[in-house]
Amino acid sequence: MNSVSPSAVQYMGGAVQEELLEGRRTGSPARRLAVGPEAATEPDEVDKLKAKLILAWNNVKYGWSVKSKTFFNKTSPITVLGQSYLLNSEDEVERFHGAFVSRLWLTYRREFPQLEGSSLTTDCGWGCMLRSGQMLLAQGLLVHLMPRDWVWPNAQQLEDVDFEVFRPRSPSRAGGVPIPSFGSPRGSGAPPKSPAGQQAPGGVQRKRPGSVRDMQAEPLHRRLVSWFGDHPPAPFGVHLLVELGKSSGKRAGDWYGPSVVAHILRKAVCKTTEVNNLAVYVAQDCTVYKEDVLQLCEPSPSRDKGPQISSNGPQISNSPDTSWKSVIILVPVRLGGEALNPAYIECVKRILKLECCIGIIGGKPKHSLYFVGFQDEQLLYLDPHYCQSVVDVTQADFSLESFHCCSPRKMPFSRMDPSCTIGFYAKNQKDFESLCAAVGEALSSSTEKYPIFTFMDGQGQDYGLEGHSISPAGPTHILPPGRLSRNSTTRASTDDFVFL
Amino acid sequence: MPPYDKPQMQKPFKLRKSFATRKLEVDGIRSKFPNKIPVIIESYQRERYLPPLDKTKFLVPQELTMTQFVTIIRNRMALLPTQAFYLLINNTGLSSMSLTMAQMYRDHQDDDGFLYMTYASQEMFGSS
Repeated sequence: MNSVSPSAVQYMGGAVQEELLEGRRTGSPARRLAVGPEAATEPDEVDKLKAKLILAWNNVKYGWSVKSKTFFNKTSPITVLGQSYLLNSEDEVERFHGAFVSRLWLTYRREFPQLEGSSLTTDCGWGCMLRSGQMLLAQGLLVHLMPRDWVWPNAQQLEDVDFEVFRPRSPSRAGGVPIPSFGSPRGSGAPPKSPAGQQAPGGVQRKRPGSVRDMQAEPLHRRLVSWFGDHPPAPFGVHLLVELGKSSGKRAGDWYGPSVVAHILRKAVCKTTEVNNLAVYVAQDCTVYKEDVLQLCEPSPSRDKGPQISSNGPQISNSPDTSWKSVIILVPVRLGGEALNPAYIECVKRILKLECCIGIIGGKPKHSLYFVGFQDEQLLYLDPHYCQSVVDVTQADFSLESFHCCSPRKMPFSRMDPSCTIGFYAKNQKDFESLCAAVGEALSSSTEKYPIFTFMDGQGQDYGLEGHSISPAGPTHILPPGRLSRNSTTRASTDDFVFL
Repeated sequence: MPPYDKPQMQKPFKLRKSFATRKLEVDGIRSKFPNKIPVIIESYQRERYLPPLDKTKFLVPQELTMTQFVTIIRNRMALLPTQAFYLLINNTGLSSMSLTMAQMYRDHQDDDGFLYMTYASQEMFGSS
């Protein structure tokens, strides 16, 4: 156990005491706040307190508002990245817990090495879409590299959740009176910290099938996290992503959109030598051209990067499809003008139910989130708006806790910003073909007349303007004035039609 | 791509002209060019990242697909292929890129006879 400094105790109020009494390890943000690295190094108390207050303020400012628990309905299934869980039994809750907490959580960080070309040492307040993009890519890498349905064996307990299901058979919850979730004053900046251990007594026991296998995957898990480290050499770190965004006119400190980030991720995967056998395709104009995807995934001798990282994971041994790269397909879309067109909600749900879907990056207006599932009319998400201290991922056994989130949260579909990028993963060509079929079917369910994007045979260039009488670069003709002068009432306005 | 200075926002086409005037315009141009589709393309009101389009009214060959039409507009705006660009039909829904202008027109023409489209990029995210 780490020691807790006096100021931290004071700061955390009752929550810390409670945790100490429980004596159980958790990775809750609240706890990290209290016993972060600064507590261990014992700097000047005043500075320490000051730093904590700034951090606290940032976290209030960036949206980690103090709020009560997230309630989960036991009668309707909750979907997380293609898997559904009906939370009416402890087994199912446990499976949901594993599925949620095992996702990588990438958040704002502070005190990382300065970003090139700026004085910034944090992405607090501007980097949320990059973080969401990192989470989407991380999910793609998890399915690419880790055993199927891998679960982090050290996953923290869920926090700030209330499963109605436990009410009847939980003595500690007798009466169903919600336990006050947070001892410290409002505005302390820490996410709500509730005595999670009492929420589901006995319900979250460690009994994970295949945990030996999952344990064996741990070195790879750790390595995968290190690729998102906040330092310049990391292949998918914020430093490199900002660098790659420069060609799109973005600089450190700018706000990013889901489409820009999709292209940044494409470039990052193309550039790295760490991950072999993986390509990223970004759809343009809401169209996935199958032939372009196939071509992208064909083995390219010029980009031979040598052996795969096989030593870490037996599961990535030579598959019969080694000749074909796996692919992450990213589709930037806009599902409405000002607000989400409600006609698309059903379609978004169907997409999140697909096993090939690796999530959606988007958010509430101005507030990026990584959507991983839904329950009823609410999206389930991971929120990057929590400012944590940088973790040195070059250390052999750096802490993984701050890279996983144990506090699932939901928001109504109606608040979803229409701008987003949808992610899919296909391991091989056969996978890609079934992806096209499955996604195609999900898309056709839209109650809106047209699907939100389409798959087309052939290549993008086949559908361009080549061969058509219209030259895109050629002059377009403005109707000469007076040509329709016979119709005097419309003369003024018909004159300004552009002829294509 | 830095936000463009907001050009003086013109009122939407529909508010600039009466229904009767618009209808007359369509009738006039359709009688002359029955195989062309009269299209109004305007910027999404809060668009900040795409350059303004120099013209609003287009006469488009009916056999053109949406993909081709979008390519033309993209070229007109000199956009990079990686720049997000969406045409929303009647300001709410995406179109299907494989459909022709004739099909779009059949399904979505306004009562005044024009086909209305709004162009938009994507929103940016960050905490202000």
